[in-house]
Amino acid sequence: MSVPGTGSPATGGTRDEVGGRQSSRAVLHDIRYSRFSGQLRSRASSVADLVRTDVMRPLGLRRSAGAKVWPFLLLAAAYLPALAVVAVPLLVPGVPLEPLEMLSYSALLATDTMVLLAFVATTVPSLLTRDRRDRVLSLYFATALSPGEYVLGKALAALSLVLIIVLGPLLVLFGGSVISADAPGEWLAEHAGDLPRLVGAALVVGGFHAVLGLLVGSLTSRRVFAVGGYLAVVLVGPALAVLLANVLGDDGWLGLDPASGPMRLATRVLGDPMEGSGALAWGMWGVVVGGGSLGLWLRYRGGRDS
Amino acid sequence: MRALDGLSVRLTSPATGLLGANGAGKSTLMRAALGLIPVDSGSLRVLGLDARRQRRELRRRIGFMPEHACLPVDMSAQDLCVHLARLRGLGRRDAVRRASEVLFAVGLEEERRRPVGTYSLGMRQRTKLAQALVHGPDLVLLDEPTSGLDPAGRAEMLSIVRHLSRDLGVHVVTSSHVLDDIERTCDEVVVVHAGRLAAQRPVVLAPRRGGPVALRVTGDLAAFAAVLAQRLEAVGERVVLAPREDGDIGLDRSSDRVLDLVRDLAAERRVGLLRLSSEDAGLEETVVAAMATTAGAGVPALPEPGRPGGQEAVVRR
Repeated sequence: MSVPGTGSPATGGTRDEVGGRQSSRAVLHDIRYSRFSGQLRSRASSVADLVRTDVMRPLGLRRSAGAKVWPFLLLAAAYLPALAVVAVPLLVPGVPLEPLEMLSYSALLATDTMVLLAFVATTVPSLLTRDRRDRVLSLYFATALSPGEYVLGKALAALSLVLIIVLGPLLVLFGGSVISADAPGEWLAEHAGDLPRLVGAALVVGGFHAVLGLLVGSLTSRRVFAVGGYLAVVLVGPALAVLLANVLGDDGWLGLDPASGPMRLATRVLGDPMEGSGALAWGMWGVVVGGGSLGLWLRYRGGRDS
Repeated sequence: MRALDGLSVRLTSPATGLLGANGAGKSTLMRAALGLIPVDSGSLRVLGLDARRQRRELRRRIGFMPEHACLPVDMSAQDLCVHLARLRGLGRRDAVRRASEVLFAVGLEEERRRPVGTYSLGMRQRTKLAQALVHGPDLVLLDEPTSGLDPAGRAEMLSIVRHLSRDLGVHVVTSSHVLDDIERTCDEVVVVHAGRLAAQRPVVLAPRRGGPVALRVTGDLAAFAAVLAQRLEAVGERVVLAPREDGDIGLDRSSDRVLDLVRDLAAERRVGLLRLSSEDAGLEETVVAAMATTAGAGVPALPEPGRPGGQEAVVRR
């Protein structure tokens, strides 16, 4: 918008080059709205933003202080054991034990199990229930986001959230062991092979709970039902597995336990001995991750917003 | 349940209003254009693109404001607009800048960092409009933009919508069941009835030359009508004059010669001309007639020269 004869330097007024006097012609720019003519980014960039937003919201980031309390309380509880065993040899020079001698990776996973279940129950299903409750899907699918990209973004966000609470403490324990070692360089070279195992174990646990949480969340728009549904699966499941094992007199059936089953598999990945039937546990894992992913895809493939 | 049925329409005006009763198919048409509802048969082209095959490209060029509540209550308007701009492919810096611009344009610059859950209904409607504009679309689909607003909020929203097509060059298709909203914001009205096109015409029509007119003068109306009838007959003009109780004289034709005679007679008798206006069917009459039309009946459409480069939507089901 141009308005001849009006304006000031603040509104775009121009100065005469020679005399520096205010020109009689000025331009007033309407800064309130303009058409976008820039370059659009790739679809991967859009999915990455969906993941970033969906990781931040359950953690309460860019939300009120109250929204941060519960998730960060759980994160603190999950990281505390690893931080404690790392801090002891660092702060108390007389302690001869290394962190991994006080708490192994497998023991850390087992210690964090209940915290993990509480964290997943309160963060993962709500990634989907909130969109249905707020009816945001019509906005998402009216953008260039496809149903497949939506499901992929949600799955990556859920996996990222679970890895924060599963892989994070393991890495703290690993890093703390390096720092507290007498010869950190030698220790790192000797235990470098632990890193892929840690990531693999975290993916086994994280993939299972991320898909299970999303699958439950996709079935309802009510967060309370989704949380209850997830907890029902991971708390009633073990009871049924124990019942089966006792009735049939075979501990192998404990592999069907959805709460501890992925933990046992992670223990195996970490190189430690595993209790119960590995085949049954892997079968259970495959059914939940594969079937759950398929279920999610079928649920959203039509791109419907209701 | 019939969600639209056999609609065939081409929209070319800068701002088009979809008018119809609840359940007429207005929202269904918009959602089909975005691919939110699959089209069973027929074709649907928007901005020259096939709405079924080129859905992704199309969505980047369209902004959509749904009728129902669709905002995440725990996000701020700023964060929501940035997020949706990023999903539409804008870089972070562009998304932040654009979000600020559109929120300023819809009057939410002061409250843009507050959670949407604390907004009034009018502010939520403006947030929905802002997210529809944040990526600089060529076309915006506004589904009942004034739904639930108080008179002041409604006037403000209508002003913004009119501003979009008139000053910013954004093509607008807006739905409403309120004729006044369409008249104030659109150039063309499309009446949808039971999933079919019931009428399509410009909001403002140029008066038809020679059509019926209503005449009102000062002084003795009956005497003026009697003399005018004699003068018209004398020059061979066959015009039916019909004095009415409201004080008007209805003339069923109004050629230039007839109008000259009216002017001359008024001057001769020294009476004032209070009113001389066309009596062509107005927008309201057209709409009322169209909405009373049963599905499948003839379409009372008037030809309207479209603007080249405008949006185009053809639906045949």
